[in-house]
Amino acid sequence: MECYSEQICARFVDGELEVDEARRVRDHLPTCPSCRKLVDALRTENRVLRETLQELPEKVASLAGLPAVRRSWLWGDLAVMAALLAVGSIVSAWINKLEVPGAIEWVNPFSLSGVTNLMFNLSDYLAHGGTAMLTEYAAVVGGALLLLLLGASTLLLGRRSQLSKLAFGALIVLLTLSLPSSALERRHAEFVAVPASETVDDTLSISGNTVRVEGVVNGDLLVFAQSLEVGGTVKGDLVSFSKRIVVSGNVEGHIFTCSQSLDLDGQLGHSVYGWIQSFRLSNRGRVGDAIVVGAGDVIVEGEVKRSATMYTGNADVSGTIGRELTMAGGRLTLTNTARVGGDLTARVHQLKDVHISDGAAIAGKRDVQVRTRQNRFTQPRFYFHQALWLAAAMLVGWLGLILFPGFFEACSQAVGSGWRSLGLGFAVLVGVPVAIVVAGITLVGLPLSLMLFALYLTAIYLAQIWVGAFLGRMLLRPAGSTKQEWLVALLLGLVILTVLTFIPYVGWLVRLAMVCLGLGAFAWQLYRTSRPPITA
Amino acid sequence: MDAKKWTKAKGPKPREVEANQMEERDLASVIERAQGHDAEALGEIHRRFFRRVFGLCRYMLDSRESAEDVTSEVFLKLQRSIVTYDGSTPFLSWLMRVAGNQCIDALRRRQRVRQVIVEVEDATTIAAPSFNLSPLGAVVETEERAQVREAVARLPVKYRLPLVLRYYSELSYDEIAQQLGLQTNHVATLLFRAKQELRRTLAHRSK
Repeated sequence: MECYSEQICARFVDGELEVDEARRVRDHLPTCPSCRKLVDALRTENRVLRETLQELPEKVASLAGLPAVRRSWLWGDLAVMAALLAVGSIVSAWINKLEVPGAIEWVNPFSLSGVTNLMFNLSDYLAHGGTAMLTEYAAVVGGALLLLLLGASTLLLGRRSQLSKLAFGALIVLLTLSLPSSALERRHAEFVAVPASETVDDTLSISGNTVRVEGVVNGDLLVFAQSLEVGGTVKGDLVSFSKRIVVSGNVEGHIFTCSQSLDLDGQLGHSVYGWIQSFRLSNRGRVGDAIVVGAGDVIVEGEVKRSATMYTGNADVSGTIGRELTMAGGRLTLTNTARVGGDLTARVHQLKDVHISDGAAIAGKRDVQVRTRQNRFTQPRFYFHQALWLAAAMLVGWLGLILFPGFFEACSQAVGSGWRSLGLGFAVLVGVPVAIVVAGITLVGLPLSLMLFALYLTAIYLAQIWVGAFLGRMLLRPAGSTKQEWLVALLLGLVILTVLTFIPYVGWLVRLAMVCLGLGAFAWQLYRTSRPPITA
Repeated sequence: MDAKKWTKAKGPKPREVEANQMEERDLASVIERAQGHDAEALGEIHRRFFRRVFGLCRYMLDSRESAEDVTSEVFLKLQRSIVTYDGSTPFLSWLMRVAGNQCIDALRRRQRVRQVIVEVEDATTIAAPSFNLSPLGAVVETEERAQVREAVARLPVKYRLPLVLRYYSELSYDEIAQQLGLQTNHVATLLFRAKQELRRTLAHRSK
């Protein structure tokens, strides 16, 4: 008698044959050892399949699925959460007491004046070569990240969990240590004045509408105000978010500021770092170190002991700059009285925007370059940079995939949720800087805000990798999900994204969408991983 | 009376059998309460069957994320649909069918197609026996189970769905055909091919 096919035998084993046919097979089996063997084997196979599938497919594919959070970690997380909440409640109570909104309304991006200011500043910034700066900045961040990843990978490849736990602990210790141990004096009122007769020995933090400091502050001075005038002496640094700042006295440290205007009439011991709409160093003013500013207008009438570096729409120099003057942006004017002790480097859009009077003295080289957008595609350097950039992104992607396979894969998958990622990403993109500023203006939150800032930049950098990987996979639709396929998809996606971002007028929209999508996916994935694993 | 008979029966673990019976009777009452919209009973059903449902979703869908989403959808819908359960089949099979449908819906939504698996080949053409590859049972004795699961997860959708519905959800060929909108014969073919593919993958790995 003829034997049955495997398919018939399989249906027989599954109990899916018609009654008559099943009976025929059953009758045939005792007479045929080979069919009997096949049926037995199929039965075993089914049993094995059933039993195997009953177990939860937690790690079905090495790439898909997130690494489960371990129990002990939950407790650690809870402890950190509790600590953060405690710190947060103190900070928020303090912020509530400050009632700053009136004073720094103009930096609050949610208010109308804040929005107009932001728009104005942003457009000014973009119009004056800010995007180039951003790219350079991103390159620096990318490089730093690469180094960090390389270091971390060598460290972590060994015993990952224990080391990261250690790092986590160290982080907490650092956070605790970084809390200011010295007392911080706070003042808040509509009008705050430190009279000439007064000396403050601690770090002084002031918030108010109008703030006038005539006395001596031996520590740092932190001010959030509409208007700040420093006529006295600050021995430490001056950190200020104010609309208008006038320094006619003495600041022995640095000035860190984000403000609409800064007039420096007095003496500054070290440097100015600022993001200022209008910065003026008057002829009585003196900067002991350097100027590093991004500004709408810069006027230098006084003396800068060392270098001046500025990204600005308009720069007027009639004073003295001890060393290099580096400028990028719109116009540069050096009058007859201007003195530059080092090289002059200027990057402008048009040559006629640079006016250097015959009387101006420049000790070093004059390097004035016109930056035109059109010809960057003809320069081989551009392609070399892009290739380098791409290689770095690939390397980061590869390392990420090796170190955190589940997370990376899940992030790039989460990009696919489209509007959710886009919306969430936009919220993160806008919301996190606000959180950084809010955390940063409280001294306690400063380390936190710096860490948040680092994470923010990192995430923005990584966004392209997740979106690139998603795009590549969408186009290639690889059957499996090996690392190699993932990387090929990433390469394709990144190349497409890079090309897209160079389309005139649309490129920046692509970039924005890419950053939003990636950030959203990252935030969503962070949220998901922070949830407890499924153990039910 | 029944219980006594069981305890005297020669089964090696009468206590366990008794516990199972208790559980079953208990389940019936839980379902009854859940049908009356009792939140606690619904919670109990969630607790008991979450793992099973999640497992199915995880095998049928390709990411953990969507599996989690669909699992919660299943239990959300259950609050309304449990009323339609009439007790004619075991509750687990019923639930598996519901969950399977939900997964297929999710796949359809994602791919924007009406049918997840399209009938392309004539089901009757392949009947050639394939003794060249030993059935999975032989392979599996030496393989880790995780590898089998991984191989299942990597199967193409058209093979994976029938296989999972058959051996995880324990649905009959007819039920699978109904869920996937296919002919019963085609389901048999797909299952046959799924196993062949699985054997091939595993044989290839163990080399």
